[in-house]
Amino acid sequence: MFGLFNKQKNEENLPEWYAELQESQQRWFTFLEKLEAKMEEFAAAAIPELKEILQSDDDLYKRTFHRVYSGVNGQLSNIREKARDTYDEKILDVYQNYNSQISVLSRHHNLVSDFRTACSDRYYDFDNQYEYWRKQIEKTQERDLEIEYQKILDEFDAIKNKFSCTQCGGSIEIEKIFLIETYISCPYCKTQNTFAPSTQGRNLQNIARGLAEQRTAHLYEAFETEDKKERELYHQRHELSLSKIHESDKKVLNEIQAKMDDLEEQRQFVIKNAPKLYQVYLRAMYDEWNKITPDLKEHNEKMYQNQVHNK
Amino acid sequence: MEEKKVNSFLDRLKQKAQNQTNYGGEMEISDAKMNAKDCPNCGAGRAKQDGVTHCAYCGFEFITVKLTDGVYIKKEDNSI
Repeated sequence: MFGLFNKQKNEENLPEWYAELQESQQRWFTFLEKLEAKMEEFAAAAIPELKEILQSDDDLYKRTFHRVYSGVNGQLSNIREKARDTYDEKILDVYQNYNSQISVLSRHHNLVSDFRTACSDRYYDFDNQYEYWRKQIEKTQERDLEIEYQKILDEFDAIKNKFSCTQCGGSIEIEKIFLIETYISCPYCKTQNTFAPSTQGRNLQNIARGLAEQRTAHLYEAFETEDKKERELYHQRHELSLSKIHESDKKVLNEIQAKMDDLEEQRQFVIKNAPKLYQVYLRAMYDEWNKITPDLKEHNEKMYQNQVHNK
Repeated sequence: MEEKKVNSFLDRLKQKAQNQTNYGGEMEISDAKMNAKDCPNCGAGRAKQDGVTHCAYCGFEFITVKLTDGVYIKKEDNSI
């Protein structure tokens, strides 16, 4: 009927253009392998260097480190760009070319789509690899802010009783860590003295958030783990639902269904719970931040309100 | 060979980063300081209750703008 089931002999054999597709695919795979090796070699050499530069950089803002850091990142994204351009040029173009020539009804059309799937899967793997190295490089900028905070506290302890009024000579106590120049009036003659905090002291406002985040990192991690659970539970449930397809035993089916319901319940719980954990983290982080720089509390709270409503 | 290329690239990058000057010039690291500004007109100091914008004795204007509430400076610091 309609010749649907008549095998046509000339379509039995693989068409000649298939060899070209295979060659393209092979080349693409080798190309990505080479890029991956290059990326790995580069990142592996750069990471220890970056760590060393961060240690030895005596600039307050670690600018030398950040220059090298962005250079390394730029090099890495160059590699990625190369892959993307080649993918567009050598894979997508070839695919589109054949896709327009070969009818979807042709028996061989799947060869064309398989070609694209295989190549894009490989590309996806490459991109994952890139992400992995980028994260490793990102980690090199982490430094222990507790040490820097302690230095600021020590400095404050050393200077807080050191000053005296320039007008009458009475001693002036610095009551807290000031972040910018401020007037301090002499308790004896009431003259307004201008106090200029040290460069190190001023830097407190720059490290405060980082330090607060560092101190509440465990809460953020708790949120992230909970957030990721949703997908895991979904996939577990999905696998169970697949196992039901060839099952006819009612008892087994019921058991599977019960398990699936249980997983779904857990999943729904996680969906509700993850944002709550995020709120817990956010509040704790801002509390910690306010503790470090109480003067900026009003400003920080505004930012907190924005973040709370946006999430 | 390949190893050398990577290292020379990194070395060059490092060298360049170290030699680059910062926008805005060298950074000054300063210690905490205390200072007081006397009126350049009559030599009087500024007392807390008189505010910081004008000299209480001769009326010399230290700050032309009207102060608003900030982190440390408050509205009350305006001279009347």
